[in-house]
Amino acid sequence: MEIEHEETDAFMNVALLATALLNGVVTGMIYALLGIGLSLVLGLLNIPNFAHGVLYALGAYFLISMAQAWLGFWGSMLLAPFGVAALGGLIEYAGVRRLYGVHPDYILLLTFGLALVLTEVIVLIWGPVGITVLPPPILAGGVDLGVTFYPKYRLALMVVTLVLVLATWLFIEKTKYGAIIRAGIEDRDMVNALGINIRRVFTVTFATGAGLAGLAGALVAPVRGLLPTMGIEILPFAFVVVVVGGLGSLPGAILGGLLVGVVQSLMTAMWAPGADIVVFAAMALVLLLQPQGLLGKR
Amino acid sequence: MKGLTRRNVLQLGATGAAGVVLGAPAFLRAQSQPVVMLGIWPFTGPFADVGPLLDRGVQLAIEEWGGQVLEKPIKYITRDSETKPGAATRRVEEAIDSEGVQYVIGPWSSGVALAVTEVAKRRKALHYFSGGTEELAGKRCHRYGFQWAVSPYTAMHVVMDKFMELNPQAKRWYLFVSDYAFGWSVEKYIKVAGQKYHIDFVGTDRVLLGTREWSGFVAKAAAAKPDVLCLLNAGQDVIISIREAHNFGLAPQVPVVIGWGVGVEDFVQLDPKNRENLWVGTNAYYTVDTPVAKKYAETYQQKFGVPPGYAPNAAYAMTRLVLRGIEKAKSTAPADVAQALEGWETVDWPGKLRINPNTHQTERDYFFLRCKPEAKMQHAYDFADIIAVGATPLMPTEFNECKDIGTL
Amino acid sequence: MLGIDTQRPHAFLAFTALVAGLMLLPLVMRPIIAADICVFAIAAMALNLIFGYTGMLSFGQATFFGMGAYVSALLMIHASANLYLALLAGTLAGAVTAAVVGYLCLQRVGIYFIMLTFAFNQLFYFLAYKWTGLTGGDDGLPGVPRPPVTFGTLRLPLDTSVTYYVFVAVVFFLVFYVMKRLVESPLGMICQAIRENPERAAAVGYHVKRYQWLVFTIAGAFSGLAGVLYAMMYGIVPIEAIFWVTSGDIVFMVLIGGIGNLYGPLIGAVVLRWLSETLSVLWHRWPLLSGTFLIIVVLFLRGGCVEVLERGRELLARLDMRRKEAGYGVAADGETDEKF
Repeated sequence: MEIEHEETDAFMNVALLATALLNGVVTGMIYALLGIGLSLVLGLLNIPNFAHGVLYALGAYFLISMAQAWLGFWGSMLLAPFGVAALGGLIEYAGVRRLYGVHPDYILLLTFGLALVLTEVIVLIWGPVGITVLPPPILAGGVDLGVTFYPKYRLALMVVTLVLVLATWLFIEKTKYGAIIRAGIEDRDMVNALGINIRRVFTVTFATGAGLAGLAGALVAPVRGLLPTMGIEILPFAFVVVVVGGLGSLPGAILGGLLVGVVQSLMTAMWAPGADIVVFAAMALVLLLQPQGLLGKR
Repeated sequence: MKGLTRRNVLQLGATGAAGVVLGAPAFLRAQSQPVVMLGIWPFTGPFADVGPLLDRGVQLAIEEWGGQVLEKPIKYITRDSETKPGAATRRVEEAIDSEGVQYVIGPWSSGVALAVTEVAKRRKALHYFSGGTEELAGKRCHRYGFQWAVSPYTAMHVVMDKFMELNPQAKRWYLFVSDYAFGWSVEKYIKVAGQKYHIDFVGTDRVLLGTREWSGFVAKAAAAKPDVLCLLNAGQDVIISIREAHNFGLAPQVPVVIGWGVGVEDFVQLDPKNRENLWVGTNAYYTVDTPVAKKYAETYQQKFGVPPGYAPNAAYAMTRLVLRGIEKAKSTAPADVAQALEGWETVDWPGKLRINPNTHQTERDYFFLRCKPEAKMQHAYDFADIIAVGATPLMPTEFNECKDIGTL
Repeated sequence: MLGIDTQRPHAFLAFTALVAGLMLLPLVMRPIIAADICVFAIAAMALNLIFGYTGMLSFGQATFFGMGAYVSALLMIHASANLYLALLAGTLAGAVTAAVVGYLCLQRVGIYFIMLTFAFNQLFYFLAYKWTGLTGGDDGLPGVPRPPVTFGTLRLPLDTSVTYYVFVAVVFFLVFYVMKRLVESPLGMICQAIRENPERAAAVGYHVKRYQWLVFTIAGAFSGLAGVLYAMMYGIVPIEAIFWVTSGDIVFMVLIGGIGNLYGPLIGAVVLRWLSETLSVLWHRWPLLSGTFLIIVVLFLRGGCVEVLERGRELLARLDMRRKEAGYGVAADGETDEKF
């Protein structure tokens, strides 16, 4: 069946372009958060964490449970990521750790199994249906930016994620613990040889990665709503971000996230069917031409 | 590594033994004594909340019949469609093999229905479906397949005619269409219906079902400065797109028209603010004024505390037609019932109806609703008023692609 | 005869057990489920070739499975292709796609390789998803017929579940045989050498990448073949056929059954697909169990079912030995051993 589109020419329509760009930045920042978490784990532990998506989902689900229970929106937003981080630490300690000596493929499979199990747990606890979260009243509604009308919550999201991303970057680049992590990514054995408890670093890094994923999920909940499969859906895109930006590189994850987000958003405005295809074709291209990514080190 | 050794033989043997114990019913085909009905409903996946509601509808109908028809017990089983064509066809095939299913009701999704109906056709089980794809009574029609929902041709005309009567200046329409069988059908016919009024369809976005990110599409819609935002999507997409339309300031200034909606199931998920200036076309609403519908709404409300939405209404209505069809045919064989249903003019849930013998499309009323402002709601579920009821125009034969419905 | 060493009783017994098992299968479960198992067992054998025997973990086998399914389905629907053409086309589609994708993925190793297979899987998935005119998108591609088996004037229809199962079982058996010969051939030895130590294999003079590419293509061909059988089985090609979770399921099966073992894939397919069908009728949250199972296998039983039995057998052997020595009271070298 022929698709009959009446496409509005994106380039002529400034309002549309502006909105698409803003949407792209919002999505991009969320991708960046996801990418940072995934990149840390990938860089340090050398495993693509297939459970990263479901941890993102859990951030959103923890948010609504905590919010309903007693904490309200703001309190839950603060605590939910820590809940996910704790879960991440537990996963590393009880599961991933056992497989360090074994072939890395098995860690990948473990995380895949976890992704399936945790997705089902989400359905068991919260039900299979999509859930809506409303933004807090002061962030409801939109703002007239002149060129376009844009929801307040999304604007706030952009600011908050920017701050968080910068904070994470500062932590990694400027603090001692961050230096240990960076060293570990560079040369794990050397760090071990220096007498630093590399295992604890692994646990903390995994937990941090999980926490960042959970944070992304919690932040994006009012924008996209919750669905048990939201983790499975977003995981491939998180992988793309990391690959495009560079495994183990934080600025790379940020750049990758923004690129993917903006490209996806602009493509949606111009030719929607192509949006996702372009993203994966780009990932394959980067992997082939420059496997270390745009800003990656190795 | 070497090949199979004793351990593997043990394994195969153990699997076999376990299989015999657990798989024994495999070979015991269901007797032809009971009338076996299958409800292929979504119990997992994106529409998992609807499955139990549909199940209720069937069960209530069977209860009314006292669990038997023509003095034969009714055996009603369910399988999870998962809203996946692959899984659903697998389960329907398996249920026919192991339980001897003769009547298949469902599923919920049009895409899955087209797959399931192939199985029904091949295995000669009577299949009743309610959904927006025209293909079930069109390109993919067959003697055992029946469509309960109104033809999208008729439905879109009812919506368009009434809306334009009340809003004659609303010429610019922007469409959000779910990118699968259902969406394509309703999109085609809203455009046909709009021709009479010279509607300018300023934009159409075909969006995949289950899309979470609607901001881009809403932005595009807003940029096109429409007079109407027409939603031809399904499931959560409806809710999210309405919400985003409000977030981005498009609604409620611009009216939102849901061409083919579910009514209650959507309304309960929407904030009253999001129901402002919302117009909904639907196959079933609980205030429909026919004896069968009203009685059912009462019974359902008594039993479950809420009025029935589209899902339990549709399931109930389809089951009724199947059971009444069996009685009319004086036989429980699907082939006989199919013949009894063909051309039948009777009164049931939607009021007067006729089952077209050439296409198996049910010709019946469609309903157009307008949501009430919160202040005017007399009780928690008083969401909307029915402002139009219509069974015409019927789809002209040149449009219909069911040229040969085949043999039994 | 048939390349089976009748001198080695275990191998012959195993082979017989396989044939018997295949014949028994439709009696203990619905024939359509038995057929489903065989189809996935073929896909799992294909993955086993590259993962179990050559050490390449591909998280994208659904790409070739799906391509085989779609290509053959389209030919059957639009060009009334007969059975042989459909099977050939699907196998070729899988092979060609794997050749191209494999060549690209093999530019890298390790995680990069895995992620590339995953990326290409997603690429093909989104292509299939969006190209609704061709593939039906999310609705799938319905109306796939089951052309009969024709041999001269002989015409065997495959319309019933039982006849289809017999057909699929025969195909599975043939594929199994081919796999067995492959794995036991010099090519198979080279692959295992590559798995164990690619650097050494290269040092000895084998062009590692070329062999990897070859087996990847072969695996793609068989995955495509499995895809054709899948399409004909349910009369529809659902989008899941090309989705990354299906790739994961195939990896699952190989892992559960036992990697690097010829019978592992079938065992894994039996366990996973049969359990999935049976349990899903009883409990909708069945994937919880399969995921947990996978985790247990990965953490504790990396040898899969084969390892479980291995351990069981060892335990039995040990108990057996103790029993024997308790009876005679002396150890092999003549000294009594008080403590066991």
